[in-house]
Amino acid sequence: MPGWQKFYHDLNGRNFEIISVAQDTGGAKDAAPWITAARPEYIALIDDKHLVTQLYGMVNVPTAVWINEKGIIVRPNEVAYVDNRYKAMHGVDAGPYLDAIRDWVTYGDRSRFVMGEQEVKELLKPPSPERAMADAEFGLAEYLHRNGKGEDAIAHFKEAQRLDPDNWNYKRQAWALSDAEKNYGTSFMKEVQKLNGKPYYAPRKLPQKQ
Amino acid sequence: MLKAMVCVAIATLLAAATSYAADRGRAAVIYDGVSTEVTASPESSKDLWITMKDLKRATRFVVKPQGVCRDELCFPLPAKRKAEFISKRGAVTWFNLTAFAALVKQPVARDEKNGVWNFGKREDERGANLASLEAPNFTLPDIDGKMHSLAEYRGKKVLLITWASW
Repeated sequence: MPGWQKFYHDLNGRNFEIISVAQDTGGAKDAAPWITAARPEYIALIDDKHLVTQLYGMVNVPTAVWINEKGIIVRPNEVAYVDNRYKAMHGVDAGPYLDAIRDWVTYGDRSRFVMGEQEVKELLKPPSPERAMADAEFGLAEYLHRNGKGEDAIAHFKEAQRLDPDNWNYKRQAWALSDAEKNYGTSFMKEVQKLNGKPYYAPRKLPQKQ
Repeated sequence: MLKAMVCVAIATLLAAATSYAADRGRAAVIYDGVSTEVTASPESSKDLWITMKDLKRATRFVVKPQGVCRDELCFPLPAKRKAEFISKRGAVTWFNLTAFAALVKQPVARDEKNGVWNFGKREDERGANLASLEAPNFTLPDIDGKMHSLAEYRGKKVLLITWASW
């Protein structure tokens, strides 16, 4: 978050807004300390039902979407690192993506990073029936967890993970809410190691200068 | 000591009452992300039958001659299969909410032990923005509890970023 704060501050007054949304079942209890520490000038919201994950069909964090002045998506879900803190793990250099955002802020819909309608449509697919079912299982698990039935929630978190196996949000959130080794027999690091060097969250290709 | 015993007795009674509720005739329905306690037909096992009153309370849908409707939205019930959806027993008319979910291709996640049913996104709601590419709106709180909607930022470029503490 401090990275985005600096990035935003440098672009301030350019008719550009950052809306960051914490995907945290624990709500403010888990997310607020990070927000308080970063003191963002941009909008920082808390989403304790993973609503944005479901509305936009996201599968991981950090994920960003570009929305133009008319409220239209011009670049859908993609990985959005603000710095190279975790580069050793995912191998993604944050620089080119940040330059792309600056280009968009300057040139708007004329920026070469803005996708055409057809390109966005091909990337945005309606959720599969399995994803829709996974969302329902995840929502049920969150409800049980929130109502003091954490043990009973585990089976439903597992079912959500089974139905939508590429969804890291549904894995990592569930693991974070209990003892992942004990209840799920795994951990985030173990799962990343299993990929054997394959990037677990590959960025989209950015168009090169012509 | 006596006080502690009374507390234990009350806790036991409460626990018994809760499990009774989960077994017989009470259920929690989550619809559009909002949970509502409802009366479930004691004959419910695989399906969830709720009263017409609870149907309206939990989902805002009502049964009309033209179908199961909410505002402008109406799903006609197949004429020959009405009995699968509506059943009158004595003075009470029951509605089969899980059969309706199957009809409108809505996923249902159920926790049998706790009597909780989560109704997910109907097929008509999924990918509803794909034709227009409009960014789906949401309204969420900041750390002070103040609500913000994406739609309030029309006229600006918005970089929407999700993150998490985990």
